[in-house]
Amino acid sequence: MPMLYEFRYLAPKSVAELTATLREHASDGKILAGGTDLIPNIRNGLQKPGFVIDIKKYDGADRISYGADGLSMGPAVTINDLLRFKDARDRYPVLCSCAHELASHQIRNRATVAGNVVNASPCSDMAPALLCLDAQAVLRSGNGERVIPFSSFFTGVKKTVLQPGEFLERILVPAASAGVTGRYLKLKRIAGHDLGIVGVLMTKRDGEIRFGVSSAAPTPVLVDTVTTKDSPDEAAAKVLASVSPISDVRGTKEYREHMIGVYARRLLAEVR
Amino acid sequence: MFDDIKTGDLTWVGHETGRADLIEKLTGEATFVSDMELPGMLHTQLKKSPYARARIKGIDVSKAESMPGVRAIVTGDELDYHIGLYIVDKYILAKGEVRHYGEAVAAVAAETLEQARAAAEAIVVDYEPLPPVLHHMEALKPDAPLVHPDLGSYSYVEAVFSPKAGTNIANHMKVRKGDVEKAFAESEYIVEREYSCPSVQHVPMETHVAIAQWGKGDRVTIWTSAQSPFTVRNLFCHAFKLPHSNVRVQVPYVGGGFGGKAGIGIEPLCAVLSRKAGGKPVKFQASREEEFSLLPCRSALTYRIKTGVSAEGKIMAQHMSMYWDAGAYADYAVNVTRASGYSAAGPYEIPNAWVDAYTIYTNKPYGTAYRGFGHVEFHWAVERHMELVANAIGIDPVEFRLKNALKPGSRTLTGEEILPSTGNVVKCIEEAARRIRYGSITPEEEARQKKTGWKIGKGIAALHKAPAIPSFTATAVVLKMNEDGSVLVNLALTDYGQGTYTSVRQIIAERLGFPIDKIKVAFESDTDRDPYDWQTVASKGLVLSGNAAILAADDLLEKAYAVAAEALHANPRDLANDGDKVYIKHHPDKSVRFAAMAVGLALPNGNGIGGPLIGVGRYIAQGLTNLNKETGEGRPALDWTYGAHGIVAEVNEETGEYRVLKIASIFDVGRAINPDLVRGQAIGGMMQGLGTAVCEGYIYDENGRLLNPSFTDNKIPTAKDLPLEVECAVVETPQIDGPYGARGVAEQSMISVAPALGNAIQKATGAQLTHMPMRSEDVWRTLQNKEPIDNWITKSPVGSCRSAPEARRRDE
Repeated sequence: MPMLYEFRYLAPKSVAELTATLREHASDGKILAGGTDLIPNIRNGLQKPGFVIDIKKYDGADRISYGADGLSMGPAVTINDLLRFKDARDRYPVLCSCAHELASHQIRNRATVAGNVVNASPCSDMAPALLCLDAQAVLRSGNGERVIPFSSFFTGVKKTVLQPGEFLERILVPAASAGVTGRYLKLKRIAGHDLGIVGVLMTKRDGEIRFGVSSAAPTPVLVDTVTTKDSPDEAAAKVLASVSPISDVRGTKEYREHMIGVYARRLLAEVR
Repeated sequence: MFDDIKTGDLTWVGHETGRADLIEKLTGEATFVSDMELPGMLHTQLKKSPYARARIKGIDVSKAESMPGVRAIVTGDELDYHIGLYIVDKYILAKGEVRHYGEAVAAVAAETLEQARAAAEAIVVDYEPLPPVLHHMEALKPDAPLVHPDLGSYSYVEAVFSPKAGTNIANHMKVRKGDVEKAFAESEYIVEREYSCPSVQHVPMETHVAIAQWGKGDRVTIWTSAQSPFTVRNLFCHAFKLPHSNVRVQVPYVGGGFGGKAGIGIEPLCAVLSRKAGGKPVKFQASREEEFSLLPCRSALTYRIKTGVSAEGKIMAQHMSMYWDAGAYADYAVNVTRASGYSAAGPYEIPNAWVDAYTIYTNKPYGTAYRGFGHVEFHWAVERHMELVANAIGIDPVEFRLKNALKPGSRTLTGEEILPSTGNVVKCIEEAARRIRYGSITPEEEARQKKTGWKIGKGIAALHKAPAIPSFTATAVVLKMNEDGSVLVNLALTDYGQGTYTSVRQIIAERLGFPIDKIKVAFESDTDRDPYDWQTVASKGLVLSGNAAILAADDLLEKAYAVAAEALHANPRDLANDGDKVYIKHHPDKSVRFAAMAVGLALPNGNGIGGPLIGVGRYIAQGLTNLNKETGEGRPALDWTYGAHGIVAEVNEETGEYRVLKIASIFDVGRAINPDLVRGQAIGGMMQGLGTAVCEGYIYDENGRLLNPSFTDNKIPTAKDLPLEVECAVVETPQIDGPYGARGVAEQSMISVAPALGNAIQKATGAQLTHMPMRSEDVWRTLQNKEPIDNWITKSPVGSCRSAPEARRRDE
């Protein structure tokens, strides 16, 4: 039975107003970005915020830019905004190939990059790329700003380091990660939009290999222990040592482990 | 109704014409019940069971009743109406006991949807959970809980069905042909295997929706997204003991049904709410989640087949046991069982056959008609079995099929003789094989295998299906001529996307000799206005309504010619028409326009003759009989549509992933009235079949809770899943009693897609798949000789993306 209740909708027009609003509603407020997770959760009775705080309405929320610091994305930057941004396509192909695997075109029109990581689903498609590219989360609250690398951002299933009253103001992908190449393999039930049964990204920069794995543990996983000297089997073993998949309606633990191994071997074999 | 005229000599029949509903569908002008709003209309929300089986100890509606906007609340206690077409086993709302997860126990009608939702949430139901029986094979055990302890007292169609009181068996259908024991003893090889498939959902784009208004003097008007307005009216009147003249059912455009809207559904619920709300119209539209668990699905099947084969590869004997999972109610499943029972061997001759087909109650959402009416499910078994038998005895599977295919002179399981005009499954198989270059790997395919490392395999599967209908199924078509000489067509067969109205229009234009744009088929069906049609199901629409249309056109012309004969002082036999006027064949200059006669002809002196021109055509299924309950003997089939699919697939042996590179679908449609529509049906059905082959299926936990009641985890294919290459073609062996020789093809396109894919995967890798769907993990497990997942009733489900326990509360 879909739940029903009334909530207040707030749309702060500046960062200062937003931080004040978040502070005031630290316990009963929920941030609305694309809404592709929040709205279904409200409909299905999984979340029941008293205040829905729209993060898209302040100036600069949807800003995406590239400069000396790298790629910067505000909290309202949608997946398709990212895919349309030439600097992102040219310099961060890995980020874009993961973005392209996320849901369907229609959902990518709404869903935001920030929302995909704040939601902290184990099957986040953006997280593997952000992990492998050393991206950072710029978090802001009334108390100021702190910068957290994504490698420390996720703390559990649907859990992050974000504190009540705090929001993800920007995602920073460092300039040093520009030009990193890689490939994301995502196992799905249909060819169209689907949540991954498992997803494995491998990136390569100056001979350094990294793996980002989704749908394989309580959080998205970064594996940076594999080297180009490893055989595909050794690489697969290292990746598998870092994950702990479960059995669910999409697949068994056994098959997930098998496929993570297959993907890791396949990806490494391609670059060796 | 077959005139042996070559398609080239016909003007409209056999040619491509635009769909009759093209503009309004493309522009969004077509009005569906989902779109409809009536003055004062109330909205409905339901309280549903979180248990698969529980005693209802009490329902407290006191808080909900006093909430804003609430106009009516009903619970099962106050309703004493049983509903059903074949076996009358269902209440409008659960009464005393809930029998499946998601079953409705109370309903609220309120001024807004939000108010109805809030009130439904405020209803408190006190349950005593009872142990459910979930797997249909468990339900057969002697100590299994009974889903319907009162089965023995239910009314049912006694000439056709055999429920077993005191068990969970809602129907037992038998076929006994020849001497099976002796033939097995004489067989060179005996192969026995078991196959299965889970429940799946129809997924119409428009979910179930109805509006009902219970007016003064018990006059009830219903607007509904349904396939069969007259069946809705008939069953409604039986349930409420109302005269048929009191009830009017209207069906506007319908956004898909696939069998899920075949009988009666949510209409009685809307009606009792309207009655309690003082006659205000009440609307209920199911959510997508409710489509999966409140409304019916397709039954699961376990099918065991044992086959005896001679040294020469001829089938000598076959023993077939079908176990159909009806779920909590068996109204349609009993007839799915019957139709599947008499077709159980597929399009093959089985000289000695033994079929036991059971419909079994379980505590799960209930099964109903679904495109193919059982044939998709059991052909999965039969056509995988034919492959496995052929492998076991060392014959090529296609050769084995051709050797045993039904041919003129063969006898079906029920003893019906196949005639040269019955259709030609051999040609279908051969054509499918030719189009995929069966039995060889082309140089391009060889190169592709080398490049990808994926193995290519090719598989064929054949099929047959006859309409599963009562032996006396009837329909009628009425043609009314408008003042300008154009024609309005009324019929209560509904066109919910399949395109039948377009074909009927072509048939009428052809028969009348009129330009096609002079023929309009009224899209909305209305039991107060349209002539009777039983139901829009079973791929029988074109055959029965097409014949009725021919007769109606002939009748209209006869009446017009009678007037013209009088006006022109001619013998009607000497008259012909050019679409605009009737003229004397040997004096073409002497004529009278249809427009002048349409509503009555005024003679030069002012006298009127004739009157409004109306043509009536009635048609009833010919020559069908009830089947002998002990042997199955009789004539159940109006016509048989044969077909075959050929699939080229490539498989990754390491992962179990696969892709369909090509599919060729061939059907003996007798005559393609509209080749474009045949192609539309062929591709649509093929994709639906592919969806159930690749990934669809209901997954329950051990308490009978549906774990995937939405598109998050009950995926259906999208355009991206289309095979790289799709070919459709027809074989045309005219059906002598079909309109212009035509047969139905709406369901056949979905049948045997899955086994063709399974056969191709086996050819590529050796994987002996026996359970549908074939997820990549299933293929991988089979290749690894690992236990199948069989997670359809699962012990340990935890969602990786929503494994937090609070995240799994949806739908309670």
